[in-house]
Amino acid sequence: MAKVGRLRMGRGRLARKYKLQWALLLMTVPWFLYRLLFSYVPLIGWYIAFSDYRPRIGMSPWQQIMQSDFVGLQNFRMLLDTDTVMGQRFIQSVINTFGQAILTQIVGFIAAITLSLMLHEVRVNGLKKVIQNILYLPHFLSWVIVASLASLALALPVSGGIINEFLLWTRIIREPIHFLANPSYFWGIVAGTHLWRNLGWNTIIYLAAMTAVDPNLYEAASIDGANRYRKMWHITLACIRPTIVMLLIMNTGWLLTSGFEIQWFLGSGVNIARAENIDIFILRYGIQMQNFGIATAAGIMRTFVSITLLSIVNFISGRLGGERLF
Amino acid sequence: MKKLLIALLLLSLVLVFAACGRDNDEPEPEQQQEEQGEQQQQEEQQEEPEDMGLLGPHNPIEISMLLVTTEVAPAPGNRIAVLMEERLGVTISYEIVTPEMQAERISVLIAGGGAGLPDILATGEVEARLTEAGAKLRLDPFIDSGRFPNIYNHVAPYRARLSWRGGGVDDGLYTLPNYNRFYGNPPLLSPTHYGTGFFLQKRVLEWHGFPDLSNMTLERYFQLIEEFIMENPYTPEGLPHIGFTFPAFPGRVWGMTNPPMFLAGFPNDGGVIVRDGVASIYAGTEYDHRYFYHLNQMFLRNGLMPGESVLVDPEATTQSQDMYFANVANGRVLGMHDQRWGFGSPHDSLVATGQFNRTFVPTMPTFDGRAPWYADRDVMNIHQGFAISSMVSEERAEHLLAFVDTILSEEWQILLSWGQEGLDYHIGPDGIFYRTPEQRLNYDDTIWRQHNRLMGFLDMMPKLQGTLSCGNAFTPGHQPLEFMDGLDEYDRWFLEQYDKRTWRDFVNDPPPNPPHYPAWQISVGSGTPADMARSELEVAALQHLPAIIMAPDGQFDTRWADYIAHIDRIDVAAFEEAMTAGIQERIRNLGY
Repeated sequence: MAKVGRLRMGRGRLARKYKLQWALLLMTVPWFLYRLLFSYVPLIGWYIAFSDYRPRIGMSPWQQIMQSDFVGLQNFRMLLDTDTVMGQRFIQSVINTFGQAILTQIVGFIAAITLSLMLHEVRVNGLKKVIQNILYLPHFLSWVIVASLASLALALPVSGGIINEFLLWTRIIREPIHFLANPSYFWGIVAGTHLWRNLGWNTIIYLAAMTAVDPNLYEAASIDGANRYRKMWHITLACIRPTIVMLLIMNTGWLLTSGFEIQWFLGSGVNIARAENIDIFILRYGIQMQNFGIATAAGIMRTFVSITLLSIVNFISGRLGGERLF
Repeated sequence: MKKLLIALLLLSLVLVFAACGRDNDEPEPEQQQEEQGEQQQQEEQQEEPEDMGLLGPHNPIEISMLLVTTEVAPAPGNRIAVLMEERLGVTISYEIVTPEMQAERISVLIAGGGAGLPDILATGEVEARLTEAGAKLRLDPFIDSGRFPNIYNHVAPYRARLSWRGGGVDDGLYTLPNYNRFYGNPPLLSPTHYGTGFFLQKRVLEWHGFPDLSNMTLERYFQLIEEFIMENPYTPEGLPHIGFTFPAFPGRVWGMTNPPMFLAGFPNDGGVIVRDGVASIYAGTEYDHRYFYHLNQMFLRNGLMPGESVLVDPEATTQSQDMYFANVANGRVLGMHDQRWGFGSPHDSLVATGQFNRTFVPTMPTFDGRAPWYADRDVMNIHQGFAISSMVSEERAEHLLAFVDTILSEEWQILLSWGQEGLDYHIGPDGIFYRTPEQRLNYDDTIWRQHNRLMGFLDMMPKLQGTLSCGNAFTPGHQPLEFMDGLDEYDRWFLEQYDKRTWRDFVNDPPPNPPHYPAWQISVGSGTPADMARSELEVAALQHLPAIIMAPDGQFDTRWADYIAHIDRIDVAAFEEAMTAGIQERIRNLGY
């Protein structure tokens, strides 16, 4: 392997390069095929978005697609037609997805870094391990369980709503709040449940980055008279900046995905106006009503917006002299 | 080392290709089994030349079944399942889907083009999507062959009504109804009204001294509850009472939206009212306004209730099924609008703990003294129930139908419904079936059922409802003597106070159903403008009605106007036209 590493990369010497690296190239073949088969071949199905797709039993997927009529951009036009209820709901579902995802990311991001810093400062190793393990636990609960726990916690005090009970007990509120009956709370509920479930888990990467910080830096700072908070700010945070930026970029790719279960289980009533995100919209209009064309069109639009956002953030970050993903 | 690595990689590559190609080369395990079974059968036939019929342990078959039901799967070693295997050679593997999830499951099955389609499709889909997509086998040639007499007799009088018309596939019989094909004249009907009502806890009526329930109005219904709460804000266990609630969670939105239709004196046509064969929605109409205005007025009285009790449940529209069931089973709920089957499980747990005074009786409030039409004549579940996958071979279809034909015999029907003689019921000297108290308790015990009954299977398969040829009712619950003997002391006393014999006597004596009835069975297609309007109306109701019911003083009118504005943006005409067309076709074609 060392030989390969030392190879000089000259132009016009591809053949020689292939000859030397054929073992490495061979290694990539299974993964290349895997990607091709599971990520690119299914894109043929995008044709459904441009057709009036009415599946029938007894045909292969290929026949299914080929026998449906081509309708051009009609499905896309219907989605973006704000004169219809469907168009309005699609636009609202895009807004909801952004709102829920941005709120979730911001809250989760700040909380995870703060918590990582605090955990990093815990000097008793045994205690640190115990706290970490307790914080990880909610991550292993399924979303269905989280949703039913949340619906119980958010209920009125008489039905066992502990959040209301706590707020009443601390005199923060006088009247119990009916969280699930007021659409304005819904984005917060999404962010809150994600925070509760994933907070501990999200600290793992930051904590790993923090342990890689050179201890000499702290010693040097101490000699210069920096206190604990100064060291946290100027050394710990400064050193993990590349990790933070990288995670930020990567998370942008998820901005058009704000989860499914919480919205599905808690947001099917009066709060539908703030709860319905793109995934739920696709399920209601696409799968439940068998409008596969509209579902696919909505999915395609989401993919394009996601890729565009990711590229923009990546470009800006690169321009600012920071990390880049690609 | 390097060579070893490369060898390993090559091996993995070969495996990848092998895995990709496997589908074509090797037969599926099921096929293999089938082939083995056929081989065995051939061998056995060589040994024993005489014909033993399709069914029996000599010809085992494993049937896959998509079952849409709220029942759970039978436990391994279930007594009736074992009998089926021993006597008929049939084992069933179930895929159970709950009714509210069936639209997704069915869509995915159809989109898959038939791969993995189970042998038997036992669904409750109203929109008949599986039929339209060609997933079901047309049964007419099989039924007309004369080889399946029980199935033939089952459908013969209703052939026209049960047959599918409306495109996608050839006209014909695809689905056998799972409910309400009655035998006997007149058939023995359930002594319980399982349909709609504004239910009241028996304790409330007892406290009021058994007031007259005829000519009920919305005002009086709430007055009965309010007066009770004023004096008794808490349950004996110290929990605050909920005066009135209703289900509104996914799949049960009608718990919130249906009342105006009944209050106006119409039978249950779903989302529309039908006048002279023309369908119109009642969402946003005067009836709707009247009901929700009253509900809002009652909601505003919540603050006047003593303690933490409420007249209208503020959590009605956000509660999950679990919360609703828990509140009913705790005895906190004094009244609700629902269909009786909708709260079956908390009702059973109240009965199981002997709290008969906390179970419910139906009342029928109406506007302006109109005649109530809460109870209808039981309607056959058309295009719902049992069907065979169009992907099975003809021989396999014959085998499956032979199984269903045998299951439709009285011997098997009694096994499925009553159980085994001596074990689950006894036969009196006059031939009348009866049960001991212990057998009755078993029958209602959900855990016992998993081991000794096939509840889900019976729920979705065709059955001999009504009166059996031996004069007994199809189920113990419908047997008059069983009902009387099974009544608790309290219930017997309660019925005496009202001078009634059964719970069905609390609701109206239903007139003959209108020719089209019920409109909710009519399919408006999937993904059509009518279908979208139907779904959008439901979402509009879900979104606005809770806010309207819980509007603070003085805000009702603005919130009502928002709701009307939302309805105006929906293509309601498309939905109404499609429904009217369906109603007209039913009146024209089906000769009810």
